[in-house]
Amino acid sequence: MVIGGGISGMQAALDIADSGYEVVLVERLPSIGGRMAQLSETFPTLDCAQCILTPRTVEVGHHEKIKLATYSEVEEVGGHLGDFRVKVRRKPAYVDWERCTGCGLCQEKCLWQVPSDFERGIGKRKAIYALSPQAVPNKPVIDREHCVYFQKEGKCGACAKFCPVEAIDFQQKEEIWEEQVGAIVVATGYDLYPMERLSEYGGGHYPDVIDSLQFERLLSASGPTAGEIRRPSDGAVPKEVVFVQCAGSRDPERGVAYCSQICCMYTAKQALLYKHKVHHGQAYVFYIDIRAGGKGYEEFVQRAMEEGVLYLRGKVSKIFPQNGKVMVWGADTLSGKRVEIAADLVVLATAILPSQGTSDLAEKLRIKIGESGFYEEAHPQVRPIESGAPGIYLAGAGQGPKDIPEAVAQGSAAAAKVLALFASEVPP
Amino acid sequence: MRKVGVFVCHCGNNIAGAVEVERVTEALRSYPGVAYSIDYLYVCSDPGQDLIKEAIAERDLDGVVVAACSPVMHETTFRRTVAAAGLNPYLCEVANIREQCSWVHRDDIERATLKATQIIETIVEKVRHDEPLLPLAMSLVRRALIIGGGIAGLQAASDIAAAGYGVILVEREEGVGGRMAQLSGTYLNFDSTVDLLREKIEAVTRNPHVTVLTRAQVEELGGYLGDFKVKVRRQGNDEEYEVGAIVVATGYELYPQEWLSEYGGERYPDVIDGLEFERMLSPTGPTGGEIRCPSDGRVPQEVVFVQCAGSRDPERGVAYCSKICCMYTAKQAMMYKMQVPQGQAYIFYIDIRALGKGYEEFTQRGMEEHRVLYLRGKVSKVFPQDGKMMVWGADTLSGKGVEVAADLVVLATPMVPSAGAFELARKLRVATDKHGFFSEAHPKLRPVESLTPGVYLAGACQAPKDIPEAVAQGSAAAAKVLSLFSQEKITHDPIVAVVDSELCAGCGICVEVCPYEAREIHPLTKIAVVKEVLCQGCGACLVACPNKASQLRNFTPTQVMAMIGALV
Repeated sequence: MVIGGGISGMQAALDIADSGYEVVLVERLPSIGGRMAQLSETFPTLDCAQCILTPRTVEVGHHEKIKLATYSEVEEVGGHLGDFRVKVRRKPAYVDWERCTGCGLCQEKCLWQVPSDFERGIGKRKAIYALSPQAVPNKPVIDREHCVYFQKEGKCGACAKFCPVEAIDFQQKEEIWEEQVGAIVVATGYDLYPMERLSEYGGGHYPDVIDSLQFERLLSASGPTAGEIRRPSDGAVPKEVVFVQCAGSRDPERGVAYCSQICCMYTAKQALLYKHKVHHGQAYVFYIDIRAGGKGYEEFVQRAMEEGVLYLRGKVSKIFPQNGKVMVWGADTLSGKRVEIAADLVVLATAILPSQGTSDLAEKLRIKIGESGFYEEAHPQVRPIESGAPGIYLAGAGQGPKDIPEAVAQGSAAAAKVLALFASEVPP
Repeated sequence: MRKVGVFVCHCGNNIAGAVEVERVTEALRSYPGVAYSIDYLYVCSDPGQDLIKEAIAERDLDGVVVAACSPVMHETTFRRTVAAAGLNPYLCEVANIREQCSWVHRDDIERATLKATQIIETIVEKVRHDEPLLPLAMSLVRRALIIGGGIAGLQAASDIAAAGYGVILVEREEGVGGRMAQLSGTYLNFDSTVDLLREKIEAVTRNPHVTVLTRAQVEELGGYLGDFKVKVRRQGNDEEYEVGAIVVATGYELYPQEWLSEYGGERYPDVIDGLEFERMLSPTGPTGGEIRCPSDGRVPQEVVFVQCAGSRDPERGVAYCSKICCMYTAKQAMMYKMQVPQGQAYIFYIDIRALGKGYEEFTQRGMEEHRVLYLRGKVSKVFPQDGKMMVWGADTLSGKGVEVAADLVVLATPMVPSAGAFELARKLRVATDKHGFFSEAHPKLRPVESLTPGVYLAGACQAPKDIPEAVAQGSAAAAKVLSLFSQEKITHDPIVAVVDSELCAGCGICVEVCPYEAREIHPLTKIAVVKEVLCQGCGACLVACPNKASQLRNFTPTQVMAMIGALV
């Protein structure tokens, strides 16, 4: 069983399934792809994330050895290495996915719009929704909280009226079943530190102060602005954008003493993409250290600087609105002076946190959590993939912040552990 | 005459939003060779696929065109569908009317509809001339070759052997363990690398499936995925092995100090590199773990660590960051302070790159608990004066110059690919980047595969990386090998080049242009021969051949001309 359908979990699932073993892939959201599905383009090659991800999600979706359990969570774990019994709970989608063809008519006809989590609140979705047109599986779910049928006792029901295959099922119940598996790969990924807790940066109250995943959605061709950089407050094209790195990270007082590892690179990428889209715009990046430690990364940051992104070494102390602008007060520790920028848009590289529910899941799996809240590996140098509990392996950002190639390598590495285990169980 | 069925997908609104799908379907119905044409909301859905299967059976179709998204998305899906209905899968083609039409022409429905029709017509022409093909069967030797016995290679070997497959581990040195065997301890926890390594080495050497060849090097490589023939030169003798897959884990070495003239170019005994300091810290090293100045054996009271001593310096040809120096320098400075508490450790740095779990906290500990003094700036010169090593540097935070009279200077020199990596890459037909590191198949999604089928990469041969990353990559490469070995049989895509022996003059141009070494001139017939299992169907030979003797299966000139004919 692989828990988590992001890039790391998918890689583990594919490597195991390609070797002929069956895999149950459990994903909390209605479709797989994870955080990578939200990204615009990837550093350092600027490949479109969706374009390189979609073939993978499709491959997983069609693999005859992979059973997808999306919109589902692990409820209970019993058993042991070689024979785990895992109870999986599937939330009611209120749509019969067997019948649904994924035509999208229900989403078109639904009258009720709500802010989309996938779009990080800067775009909208309907009360019945799939995460994206390329979603795997491409089947919608009804958000009960915002569906008028559920909230106003049977009124509306437009989706059911228009569905050509009668797939809407308002009576659907949650489902709990048990899977018997020999090994478990935990690949539950990350969340971003909530902006509400960054009071000096506005605590999420200013529309033009957004986090980096929101900016990814603005950059994305499939995002709410179709890839145009528009600030949320008034839709204007921002002429000055300030990127604030270590917005929460490397700050022991906030409980995030660690470095989030990927922000330096995605910020360089975001600033560069902003410059590509708004040629006369100015991008500023506040940083403490520029941590460009992967293949081609240093050269990529240099390129961003050469193309006009202005790097300022220092922390930002305060962000507040003034005359339609967002004022950024920061320090430039190289000149030793204070810097004040009247920005149109501020992008916070907020800290990476273990994804919500990590500690609950760890408890169910009886695996250890480290002091930063990430899953703890058996040994930091020589056993980075093993959890310490026999038969349970770790992959991706659930174990600690990491970027895509590292998450992919870990996904494959976890698969190797599972494959070696399964091979040794075959009777001689 | 072939009877082609055309299945036009709406893709919800993705295609139907810009293309009038019904009109397209209608237009195709009267196109020559089309026996059946229908549209459907999602052809890739189960009912959509059933539609194809039923049509093949009922209407006796012997060619299928699915007009939908890019073939990258669903070509495999639809070929599997037609195969299930008893049709040769290579008689099914996908016409891309989404990425190449509807998505880019949202504003002009009329012309998008016309373009979609034409795209489909070209593919109908192709299918009309497609040959039924069978995948090429290949042999599979279920034994792996690992080149390099460092931590990444050891990890790959132990994971592959644990699954019961044979492994041949080739190591150039006297013993396995690689660079890790030279280290004093790991960062974060100061665990003894020797102890950590011992466990890994035993897992490999005690496994009966593993043959360890030391003082050995790969001399020659022939064959291909599933069936490589390797010549290994060991202690003067050549030995031949057959393996199905190869993991390259040749690691790194340090940039030569001689090339760093401003830091003394190795002329000063008390200026050493990171690995030399590791040996000094190691209990098994020449000083038994005691830190002494090499010049006179005194305990150094002031030690200067110089980071980026060559790295991040495009003028030196090392534009890249060596990634591990920030952390090992922090560790080395802390170990120095633990041994010489009254001594002073200075670290010159540009950025502190503490990139890993617990790394940031570790460098903070160095600053706070061990009072290591970090100075942000580069060192411009190191030279001897009055028995000390003078270090001239800048502190960019105070904006002032700094001068330290040090007893010992430790240079964090760049990581470069290990000697011979480039020659090895050529023997293996694997690409390298401009610095000589092995190139991965895709920087994001295929980090442990090379572009050469059956050759995988692990560890620092691909780019600088630290122990946990090298271990993860070693396991990841093992997963690729295990996945390959678990196949009952392996096949190769039959879309490969063929040579028309009547037209070939044996000029050999195709042999030169083929990037996969899939061509040779037959010694007797003197005409070009295609080694089908190596051919990737790229088409370079087609373009190069002056006689048009080179052709690609199912991309013949007849087909291409017919496709162009449909457009003009």
